[in-house]
Amino acid sequence: MLRWLATAVIALLFALDLGLPYTPLGRRGPEALVRSDVAITGVSVGAPAPDLELRTLEGQPLSLAEFRGHPLLVTFERSVDW
Amino acid sequence: MNALTAYRILCGFVGVTFALSGLGCLGGFFASLAPGGELPGPIPLGVGGAYFLAFTGCALVGWGGSLIGAARQPRTHRTVGTATAFALVLMAMYRIAAWFFGDYAFLGNILRVEAGGMLLFALAFVWLRPPAVQEG
Repeated sequence: MLRWLATAVIALLFALDLGLPYTPLGRRGPEALVRSDVAITGVSVGAPAPDLELRTLEGQPLSLAEFRGHPLLVTFERSVDW
Repeated sequence: MNALTAYRILCGFVGVTFALSGLGCLGGFFASLAPGGELPGPIPLGVGGAYFLAFTGCALVGWGGSLIGAARQPRTHRTVGTATAFALVLMAMYRIAAWFFGDYAFLGNILRVEAGGMLLFALAFVWLRPPAVQEG
């Protein structure tokens, strides 16, 4: 009886492992961050950068428009906060 | 091959794998102590991560030793396999949750594959467990 119960639990986990969609609740994952905070498409090379607003590490809003008229270097890299 | 032999092979294989992995984790901790020591791998480790890596390594060595003992005397050490199956299911559960909630999206499908493998091994431990010996 316990053996079959364990098998049922394992089978359920197998189904979850194979059937769950990819990070549907991922509010903190890097892809979700891009989707929710930087919803910009269709930017062409050479065109002015569209304004966007992000949060600083302290949680304060930061707008790209604040840097208008000043040289600005934007880099993109993976950041993992452990 | 009968079920008992398969169970002993399973315990021995998983036990040796765990013990060697544990020694590797412990060695990784000491390697990280070297000046400029940065451990390779998909997950970047800081000093906290290296500390828990060493903790995990020690636990894996002990766990692997228990499984090797179960491989030598499977009927009297059968609860080791049961506890191992339970722990494997728990490890699969947290991997599925970690993958699902997206915090470890940079690992891709590694977590899912690991979880699937652990569930398979758990299933083997459940179904190959030898019957209890009569005491007295």
